[in-house]
Amino acid sequence: MKRKSELVVPLLFLAAAPLAVYSVQRVFLHTPNERTMGTAFKIFFFHVPMGWLCMLMAVISGVAAYVQLRRRSRTAAAVALASAEIGFLGGLGVMLTGPIWGHATWGTPWTGDARQVTTALLWLVIAAYLLLRHFGQHASERLAAALAIFGAVNVPLIYYAVKLWKTTHPTTGVVAKLPPEMWATFWPGLGALLLVSFGLFAIRARQLVLAGELDDAYVRLEDSRA
Amino acid sequence: MLHLARVRVLRQSLLLLRSELRQELRDLELVLTSTFFTLVVLGMFYLSFAALEKKHTLPAVPGLLWLTVAFVGSITLTRAFDREREADTLRALLVAPVERTAIYVAKAGSTLLVLLVCCALLVPGLASMFPAGQVFLDMPLETATLVVLGCLGYVAIGTLFAAGLAGGGGKNMLLAVILYPVTTPVLMFGLVTTRALLDNNPNLPSYLGQMAALDVILLGVGALLFEPVLVGAAPARTAQAARQHARERLRAAGREEPR
Repeated sequence: MKRKSELVVPLLFLAAAPLAVYSVQRVFLHTPNERTMGTAFKIFFFHVPMGWLCMLMAVISGVAAYVQLRRRSRTAAAVALASAEIGFLGGLGVMLTGPIWGHATWGTPWTGDARQVTTALLWLVIAAYLLLRHFGQHASERLAAALAIFGAVNVPLIYYAVKLWKTTHPTTGVVAKLPPEMWATFWPGLGALLLVSFGLFAIRARQLVLAGELDDAYVRLEDSRA
Repeated sequence: MLHLARVRVLRQSLLLLRSELRQELRDLELVLTSTFFTLVVLGMFYLSFAALEKKHTLPAVPGLLWLTVAFVGSITLTRAFDREREADTLRALLVAPVERTAIYVAKAGSTLLVLLVCCALLVPGLASMFPAGQVFLDMPLETATLVVLGCLGYVAIGTLFAAGLAGGGGKNMLLAVILYPVTTPVLMFGLVTTRALLDNNPNLPSYLGQMAALDVILLGVGALLFEPVLVGAAPARTAQAARQHARERLRAAGREEPR
């Protein structure tokens, strides 16, 4: 019989499936076009949740890396890596959808705006973290953790970059100004994305913990043979 | 107590910095290689961009300045810690009875000084090669503040990661992979502030203040992470050991033991 904790992931996916379908049909069939941006605005419902996901995962990865450094926790190391991987995918989505939206709205895919650049940077830091975790030697796990913490420190910089550098990017209050019917479309989409992401995150983190335990078991077996 | 600890860290930092500088003054290895590299990069920039008109060099000069700092900084940091690795002196430093924060401050301080020596060549070089950079010479105080703040932020992060790679026996190639994405926020602040300086922007003091605030954050995070990254945290205490520790503390304070 399965343990209760093992049911959480299937439940997350089960909850996400109808929410995703509902959200997509709402975006394309029931949400009116925005006045100035027209149809191009619909990409907002994909771009912003992925941006939030990327930042959230960067923060989770940073906090987990801090715990890993302070307590030498294997679970925290697994959580840090799993969240960085999901954050990398979220960031990839932002980097792909952003230029499409920018091209339709501003007439250019890349304006060099501060928030664009800083988001790209956060994504590069996450990529560097993954490179270090995969190709660094054993002790570089701690160094990778420091990198993840710096990634998390970058997140508030991104948020305030618009205010600090007075740019052309939509201001950080864009979501607050949405009319109610757009809010009603935005939240289910965000919810579905978060549910799927946390499901994938839980699977990957558990797999990393198990891989570590398997390594330990193998070493113990080799020791007992010697 | 806290005050005494701070004085101790400061004293140890100055002693270690003096030792770093003495070692550097023996053969000037870092200064000579880094300044030579700065001149080579300046020469390459001149060959590439000398034909540009002034209005085109205006947005380019800040980039040239901070790109050079990034390149020179990474080779300086690599060499500074290679030296430690070759003689296995980083391990000796870590087992010496000094605060790890003092090691971080001394290493960052010596790298900062080498970078500033390079900037003392780089900034006048850029000013003489590109007319847009003339502002650097017209406003020396603001330029010096900008350069010091930018380089300080760069070494605050760079020292941590270079030391981490040297201490962990990591691959040097990875330093550039890590360093450039992580230091880019500092370099971006540097770019924006340099542009404000060249444009005679009245918001320049505010930008410099933001750079100083960023430096404080980066130095704080760097100092906080230096020890855990290099030597790892102490193993987590078991519940039993934690109870024992609490009992001892209470006994020392002359209070009753908890039941």
